[in-house]
Amino acid sequence: MGNTVIGSSIVIDGEITGEESLTILGTVKGKISVAQNVAVEAGSTVEADIEAQTVTVSGRLTGNVVARERIELKPESKMVGDAKSPRIVIADGAGFKGNVDMDV
Amino acid sequence: MADKETVIGLETRISGEVRGEEDLVVRGRIDGRVQITQTLTVEKGATVQADVDVRHLVVSGTVVGAIVASESVKLTSTARVVGDLASPRVMMEAGAAYRGRVDMGDIAAARAAVSSRAVQRSAGSEKPAIRPAPPRMASAAKAVVAGKVAAPAAPAPPAARSATVATAVAAGAPGPASPPAFPRVAGAMGAMSPAWAKKKIRRR
Repeated sequence: MGNTVIGSSIVIDGEITGEESLTILGTVKGKISVAQNVAVEAGSTVEADIEAQTVTVSGRLTGNVVARERIELKPESKMVGDAKSPRIVIADGAGFKGNVDMDV
Repeated sequence: MADKETVIGLETRISGEVRGEEDLVVRGRIDGRVQITQTLTVEKGATVQADVDVRHLVVSGTVVGAIVASESVKLTSTARVVGDLASPRVMMEAGAAYRGRVDMGDIAAARAAVSSRAVQRSAGSEKPAIRPAPPRMASAAKAVVAGKVAAPAAPAPPAARSATVATAVAAGAPGPASPPAFPRVAGAMGAMSPAWAKKKIRRR
């Protein structure tokens, strides 16, 4: 079962939908909606609203994120936008600007 | 360059534009436009409904759209492709189903035509209502390539046209065979009787 990988030199302008995990090393602009996990890897740039099970950010993310399970901002990550998820983890060194909604 | 190859997974769909300087493997679906400076591989079961501008193209799945490949195009035995194709090297295996024009000459002109079409499409919302060819298309093409020209059941399906194109290409004659007029389905008009006609019948 192969998942989706967007390589470092790839630029996607549009919408990504799917039932599996998505790993982004390149650039995505638009909208992402997947059933599993989204990983925004170090060095990648994402300007998109994301809807997924879990979202892990190590790169730069601009957009609103809704995760059914958890959002994780790794050290060195930068995120601008609203984060909505029952569990949100922000590591030491991560940059974040936006609203947090944990449904409490 | 990239530590991982780019793969669009089986259950993933992208609508929009994909650009890049590396290989791209599609197992799922892309609608829109693909511009890659390396190899685009469309695997069996995958669908790309997009204008494609790449270096090498290998198709085992379905591609619908204008194709420009600056070096080569290979349609494997499971490929189903509809759309004009421009590339200096074109390979089609027996069993590949293809409909469209093949141009092994001026790639620059074809690329210009595709990019202008892309601009038009983004300006207006032109949506090509092309559906993938029926599965019997592949078998028909296979039969003709093998030399057994089985007469297709009347009325001749569009598969017959693509089969002639495929054999023409296989025989080394890349000139586009002008397709015969699509056979009119007899009784199609009778089946769609207008409302006024029905009314008259009811009155009687």
